[in-house]
Amino acid sequence: MGLFGRKKEEIPPHPREEPRIPLPLSAENVERAFGGSVDFVRRTVELGGGTGLSLTLCYVSGMVKMERVSDYVLRPIAQDEGLARCAGPEALVARMKAGALYNLSAEVRTGTDQAVADLIAGSCLLFVPGAEGVLSLNVGTEEKRSISDPASETVLKGARDAFVESIRTNTSLVRRHLKAPELRITEQIVGRQSLTTVDILSMEGIACPDTVAEVERRMAEIDIDAVLATGNMEEYLIDTIHTAFPLIQYTERPDRFCAGLAEGRVGVLIDGLPLGYLAPGTIGNFLRASQDKSNNWILASVLTALRYFCMLTTLFLPGLYVAVVTFHQEMIPTRLALSIIAAKQDVPFVTVFEVLILLLAFEILQEAGLRLPQSIGQTVSIIGGLVVGTAAVEAKIVSPAVLIVVAIAGIAGYTMPSQELAGALRIWRFLLAVLGSAAGLFGVVAGGAVLAGHLAGIESFGVSYLTPFAANGGAQVEGDTVIRLPLRRVKLRPRFLRTPNRRNQK
Amino acid sequence: MRRAAACALAGFLALLLTGCDAPGFLPYARELENMALIRTMGVDAAPEGAVAVTVSTGARSGTGGEDAVVLSGSAGTISGACLEMQGQGSSYIYYGHVGQLLLGEDLARRGAGPALDYVLRDVEMRLDTELYLVRGTGAGAAIQSAAGAGGSAADRLEAMEEDAGLLAHTMPRTVGDVLERLARSGAAFVPALSLGGEGELEADGYGILKDGALAGWAGEEAAGGINLVLGQVDADVLELEGAALRVVGARTRIRPVFDGDRLTGLALRCRVDANLAEAPGALDLQDPAALERLERALEAREAQRIQAALELSQALDADFLELRIAAELAGPGRTADLGERWSLDALELEVSVEGNILRSYDVSR
Repeated sequence: MGLFGRKKEEIPPHPREEPRIPLPLSAENVERAFGGSVDFVRRTVELGGGTGLSLTLCYVSGMVKMERVSDYVLRPIAQDEGLARCAGPEALVARMKAGALYNLSAEVRTGTDQAVADLIAGSCLLFVPGAEGVLSLNVGTEEKRSISDPASETVLKGARDAFVESIRTNTSLVRRHLKAPELRITEQIVGRQSLTTVDILSMEGIACPDTVAEVERRMAEIDIDAVLATGNMEEYLIDTIHTAFPLIQYTERPDRFCAGLAEGRVGVLIDGLPLGYLAPGTIGNFLRASQDKSNNWILASVLTALRYFCMLTTLFLPGLYVAVVTFHQEMIPTRLALSIIAAKQDVPFVTVFEVLILLLAFEILQEAGLRLPQSIGQTVSIIGGLVVGTAAVEAKIVSPAVLIVVAIAGIAGYTMPSQELAGALRIWRFLLAVLGSAAGLFGVVAGGAVLAGHLAGIESFGVSYLTPFAANGGAQVEGDTVIRLPLRRVKLRPRFLRTPNRRNQK
Repeated sequence: MRRAAACALAGFLALLLTGCDAPGFLPYARELENMALIRTMGVDAAPEGAVAVTVSTGARSGTGGEDAVVLSGSAGTISGACLEMQGQGSSYIYYGHVGQLLLGEDLARRGAGPALDYVLRDVEMRLDTELYLVRGTGAGAAIQSAAGAGGSAADRLEAMEEDAGLLAHTMPRTVGDVLERLARSGAAFVPALSLGGEGELEADGYGILKDGALAGWAGEEAAGGINLVLGQVDADVLELEGAALRVVGARTRIRPVFDGDRLTGLALRCRVDANLAEAPGALDLQDPAALERLERALEAREAQRIQAALELSQALDADFLELRIAAELAGPGRTADLGERWSLDALELEVSVEGNILRSYDVSR
């Protein structure tokens, strides 16, 4: 134990073993690789036609569709006389691969690693004695959640489909929205244990090739155990982890995802996660709601401006209240000051303590509401917000003015379309409240300056996070961030995306 | 890097534990509920050149309402008196919300400069504080009289300010306004208050400050003239020939009159607009003769008021109407160096008023 915490533990090397299963390809070795797992099934079947040749079929139960195994594989093996007439094992494998078995795909695998990966992905392996390699037949089950409404991005006017956990379904959803053949989908496997399929999507001729290459490079560098949560990818893809602000945008709506691709951004889909990522992400992206392009441009502009106002409100209001009430009482209108004094009579805590306690209580209530089932969560919110809040005010533990300030700041935070952005703002508003209590408006302004400096210093895939409020590489870029111009006037894709083809309409 | 950051954080925390005061550049924290927000300040002359300061909070209305708190202190300066009052209660006496500054007649005659200078320099006081002169008594007595029974001087003066447009008696002036006029013209008018029969504060024309001291009072007639010259007649009501005219606008143009290169006088042309608010049954505005008769009466009445204000200005030799500046603006080519030759007493002042009765509230007429 050192003065500043435990001594840093030495991290041992973590080499990737190639091949993963250092055994020659055979049914026995494949079974050995699974180490007696109960879902591994190995069965010997006899080729029809009285040849007496026994074939070995391996599959992982639950990953394959049994009817397909029976109808596409076992039935032809037992009944197809043409297979029985094949001269030798290589001819037999060639005929089965050529179509004697009814699977959509049939591949010959020669390595144990690839054969085992196919097995886990839903294929069955058919070992033919004497033949080189093994026949991998795709009989995977397609059990998956059906496409439903997006859960976190409300749709009033627009497509109601949302991404699901199956990556192939998700790519098909994208294809249905963007039918241009220029849609490019490249694939990588990420995660030593999860072997998760990750697809990188872009529009050729529109997306910046450098950004696409950078996404692919960062993806290829990820060497982790498993991709099971969104953070497993996000933290490895973004430019810096020393920020609470989101640097890559996610959406569960294919139409929004496709709009990003058509704009020139690069998309990432991950098997097992019902959402897609879009890069690069700037602060304007996180303040745009998915409905904005469906609304009238004037309404959308007003709502966007309102969101910016709410962002400033949720960030600065508690800090400003503390600063003004504690240091700059002359700034409060006299009648309001008298109301605050009257409300604060008999409250034993100083203002900053009241604000911090209520902000903390707000976070606790929110966290409790999220962790509980929806019906109970609502009850907790009502009990916490109304009953406890009212009781706290009546018991003179907090003053009503502080309750109102914290509630306004909290509700303003809920207008953020991005929960990640809202979370970052919540963290910073604590800091600004503390600074406001230490140095008044000077502290709040200093904190705001630090925040602006922090935001100006971060980038997402080479694009300044504050674009278009900040310059990129010394060059100011244009953009309609707060005002959503009428779509027929937006004839160019954003310059900061460095798209080879900026024109987007006639 | 991490160790350096941890050392810096530990050093900062250790600094907090030393018990030292906050750095000098940071403001000083005070909780709002521990403050007594002073709404009204009164300054009076005390013996031997000292000043007596009386301050009052506002009365708190609603459930658990409290009467206004009135504190008094006396010292050689206003700052000293304020410091003396700080020790009179547990709350911090805060002057950031002083909305009205009352000066007693004696102090105003001695000189209002120190009081205005206090407002100008004090870190908590504001230049937009309204200034009043108390006629016939002290500012402290006026504040004491208004306090109690759920009221306060602040409440009464705020109500008067809101009603000023309706009553057209006096217009409010801030300390900033008065300082500006004193610096520009050497004279200024300040709303005057007096105590009514039941001890309530009432508007009582204007007090005229010349060179920082009270020089005289403008009564109701002259006060009306001041309002007309400055165009501040939001809703004055005149009773003429049995009819009631609501004055809704006034605009005065001041033109210098020259004899050769010599400034001999000023011509004040005032256009007054009024609506017929109330009329005897026989009055018909469709009748040009009746309308003209009423307009002439209006002109005569308003000219009389302006004349009273001008006579007061000449009598006190105090240019509180800023006629010189108006003349300079009206003829910038010939009046560039008017300041040296300016003598209000020697000028012939010509007043002409044009009255217009715009309409009646009765749509049938």
